[in-house]
Amino acid sequence: MTAASLTRAGADPRRLLKALVSQEALLAIAVIGLAIAVGFYNPRFLATRNLSDVLLGNAYIAVAAVGMSMVIISGNIDISVGSLIGVLATVSGTLAVDGAPIIVTWLAPLVVGMLVMALQGAIVAYLRIPAIVVTLGMLSILKGGLISATGGKWITDLPDSFHLADIEIFGLLPMPVFLMILAAFLAAFWMRYSASGRAIYAVGGNAEAARLCGISQPRTIVMVFALHGFFAGIAALLYATQLRVIQSTVPPNLELTIITAAVVGGVSILGGVGTVIGSTLAAVLIAEIASALVFTDVSPYWIRAVQGALILITVIADILRRRRMAGA
Amino acid sequence: MKLRFAATLLSATLLAGTAYAAEKRWDGADDLPVNPLACSAGEASAAPAAKPYDGGQPTGAPDKSGKPISLVDVPKLIGIGYFNATSKGMQDAAKALGNVSAKTDGPTEAKIDEQIKFIDNTITSGVDGILFAANDPVAIAPVLKKALSKGIHVVGYDANSSPDAREWFINQAEFNGIAKAMIDSMAKEAGEDKSFAIVTSTFTTPNQARWIAEMGAYAQKCHPKLKWLETVEAQEDNNLSFNQATTLINKYGDKLSGLFGMTSVATPASSEAVTKAKLCGKVAVVGLATPNAMKPYVNTDCVKSVVLWNPVDLGYAATYVMRAVVDGKLKPGATSVEAGKLGKLTVVNGSEILLGAPFIFTKQNIKDFDF
Amino acid sequence: MSEIPLPSTVKRVAPWWLIRHETMLAAILLVALIVLGALNNRFLTLDNLLNQGRLTTEVGLIALPMTFIIIAGGIDLSVGSIVGLCAIMLGYSWKNFGFPLPLAICFSLGIGAAAGFFNGLVITKVKVPPLIMTIATLALYRGFAEGISQAHSVRGYPEWFYFIGQSDLIGVPAQLWLLLIAIVVAGIALDRTTFGRTLYAIGNNETAARFSGLAVDRVKLIIYTLSGLMAGLSACVLVSRVTTTRSDMGIGYELDVIAAVVLGGTSIFGGLGTIWGTIVGLAMIQLLKDGLALTGVKGDATIVVIGAVLILSTLVASSLQRRRDGV
Repeated sequence: MTAASLTRAGADPRRLLKALVSQEALLAIAVIGLAIAVGFYNPRFLATRNLSDVLLGNAYIAVAAVGMSMVIISGNIDISVGSLIGVLATVSGTLAVDGAPIIVTWLAPLVVGMLVMALQGAIVAYLRIPAIVVTLGMLSILKGGLISATGGKWITDLPDSFHLADIEIFGLLPMPVFLMILAAFLAAFWMRYSASGRAIYAVGGNAEAARLCGISQPRTIVMVFALHGFFAGIAALLYATQLRVIQSTVPPNLELTIITAAVVGGVSILGGVGTVIGSTLAAVLIAEIASALVFTDVSPYWIRAVQGALILITVIADILRRRRMAGA
Repeated sequence: MKLRFAATLLSATLLAGTAYAAEKRWDGADDLPVNPLACSAGEASAAPAAKPYDGGQPTGAPDKSGKPISLVDVPKLIGIGYFNATSKGMQDAAKALGNVSAKTDGPTEAKIDEQIKFIDNTITSGVDGILFAANDPVAIAPVLKKALSKGIHVVGYDANSSPDAREWFINQAEFNGIAKAMIDSMAKEAGEDKSFAIVTSTFTTPNQARWIAEMGAYAQKCHPKLKWLETVEAQEDNNLSFNQATTLINKYGDKLSGLFGMTSVATPASSEAVTKAKLCGKVAVVGLATPNAMKPYVNTDCVKSVVLWNPVDLGYAATYVMRAVVDGKLKPGATSVEAGKLGKLTVVNGSEILLGAPFIFTKQNIKDFDF
Repeated sequence: MSEIPLPSTVKRVAPWWLIRHETMLAAILLVALIVLGALNNRFLTLDNLLNQGRLTTEVGLIALPMTFIIIAGGIDLSVGSIVGLCAIMLGYSWKNFGFPLPLAICFSLGIGAAAGFFNGLVITKVKVPPLIMTIATLALYRGFAEGISQAHSVRGYPEWFYFIGQSDLIGVPAQLWLLLIAIVVAGIALDRTTFGRTLYAIGNNETAARFSGLAVDRVKLIIYTLSGLMAGLSACVLVSRVTTTRSDMGIGYELDVIAAVVLGGTSIFGGLGTIWGTIVGLAMIQLLKDGLALTGVKGDATIVVIGAVLILSTLVASSLQRRRDGV
């Protein structure tokens, strides 16, 4: 759903109804529907403890998916984010163990993340190398670099004050969930109502037309990657501060999960379409499915097949829905 | 219309999958024969009948008895604490022996395909001996046999290959010994008639499957009231394993009294899950793990004991065995071998050399270790 | 009235074929080979190079149809999972269905083709973008492999089966012959047939190709099916080489293949690329990894170098190509 069509929708109740059957709404229905269905099978799934654990344990993926959505909407892709999160988590943990002030350990992954991603964005934008090549190369560089630097040694003497993920806002809302919601809404708001935010859609939809409108494509792309790095930094922070130990390795397949969340959330690989709210909901849905599969006693051998099938159904349904609406 | 067809097809798959699931519950064990130990405390090992030597032999290996040799160690993967420790043991042994130089190099992911390429390169570069920990026992055999045919000595540790592809294999601890230590600890900490769940690694790793099979057999024999609930697969990722363990705790609630962690990632993750759920002392965590990762949990008394062996000693022994093989001091049919500071190690199962009993890390001794 | 300069009056720095991406890459490869050969005297031996050819075959077989797919503007990330699925089905049908081994091999190839066909069908008929579809089937096919195999490996094949993966034919590894034949066929198909030209047309402007009357959907269906089929062939070679089946076979192949294809000058946006380029890209990655390992560089440093080489080579070759095109 583009911003323009939603504005028009507000003026026409029929169109508004169509907007409500958007990807975001469907995802929200899926999240709630699945929870109820599994609840019938095993009521313990609906316990507050479990639902909050699902959210807390996977919030970092949702935050990273926000940044990834922006990259995909702009017409690019990034497969290095998993390695980057591993590196940033290690950086943060190492600083904490070395006695740096806690604020520094929390800000470091954000800054480093932005710099590394902005560098990649610059290579894509100014040297005009396709994003898939740059990020594929960077994936190996980051992974090899991490192993060379740490040898995979776990970080285990983290100070207690390091654990950002344990903090609860106003004693109620856990930090991971708070950051996830904040990131999603801030990003959504910015992309809808600010010129530079809208520029991302323009560049992804039709770069030439955007240029003719005065939108600088290279600058927008560097900005998008830098923001992506910022969100990856927050994700790394949540990832690092959740457990008492940091693994100092690259989390396997993380980039695939993040891309899947963005894509299932309705972001179009063709660029120019999608929202970060959708990808946040999709990340929640994916996490919920993982938990549901354990609760419903699905044989572990079939878990990945079920996940793949669900992604396929969601994607096919989304494409068909889009085609039917485009025809209307 | 096509959508309906596709949707039906996919739903059918889903249902088939779930139905299949309801049929056979996966427990993580393999289906090889088991050999549970006696139930009484201590090392009452059911003495197996001495097997004839079943390892492979190199063809045309140059006689380097007493001369300096160069070794390459190709573990499952590099960049994790466990293999950093075995590597360190090899360096210690090389220094003690004086005429051995050892290098560790391997893939950055535990993939058998990559490991085979590394071993292939090692063969090309012309070394005297290869030490390995296999990602897959059968797949690694052809390239190891190629090494043997080129006169290179081959000794394995930690994860075996098929016996005729290597000369000797250093077994860190008998599978049934590990099983006994784990089950006995769980029965002691959780209770004889309680229920437990298992968090293991991906289901394609052979060692874990062996341990679980032996654990099942031993529990049935000596602690028949211990009940198995479920086994979940955890990836190599600590955070994902934590999520899996937390899901188990939430699913079973009070029914769960113990968690087994089968890898150096699963055990700390399970401990974290129990800590976060504020169930320390109510849910026992028993598992295999390297000491560093477990320090935060052992020091808070959430985990009482961590089972492992000493990987530094494992690497050390492997190097000494290789030296003995090259020097002609360890021949097929031998029953023991001298391994420096570790003393005399026994030969079991034809061509395996036993490192010793499993080591238990507790609050008292865990600070003495750094791996 | 100003004169529009004709192409013949544009000054050329060097003949066009010299500044092509593929030739530049081959030059970089040659330099790298000489340097690595100088650092280690076992690298440039025939024995070692043939062995590297043996090890590259599995990725190489898949890189050929992937070149077709990327030239046509698509992508296929599910190839690694198809390899795993076909490997499992080879063992499963031989052991559990009781198929004689040759039939099991054909069955496995058929599964691969079917998997690729399904990709192509949904991409062309439902119009799901290839990246998304193949990300979904990456999970789905791997899931099938895991589910069907139940983590059991099938081993103990008859001796003749190991010929393709482990033996030599007139001194050259058997599977390398297979790859060489496939390269020749693919190269001719891309360069000399209408089929090949259709791929470039689709990649350059799919709408125009459609309106020109080209059978766009049929061609796309063919290349995705081909991709699945070659993944199946690669799986058979792999099983023959390592004598066992595992459900995690082929993990990560898609990235290796895409790296080779893109390094070789095929544009990810479509419309540009050659089989020759893919071969050079393939050779470069494999020989670099091998040469660095023999020189004593450790595994983690090697992948850093490969990553850097990927970015730098693409940079060098693309900028030279752009200068040639006058962009």
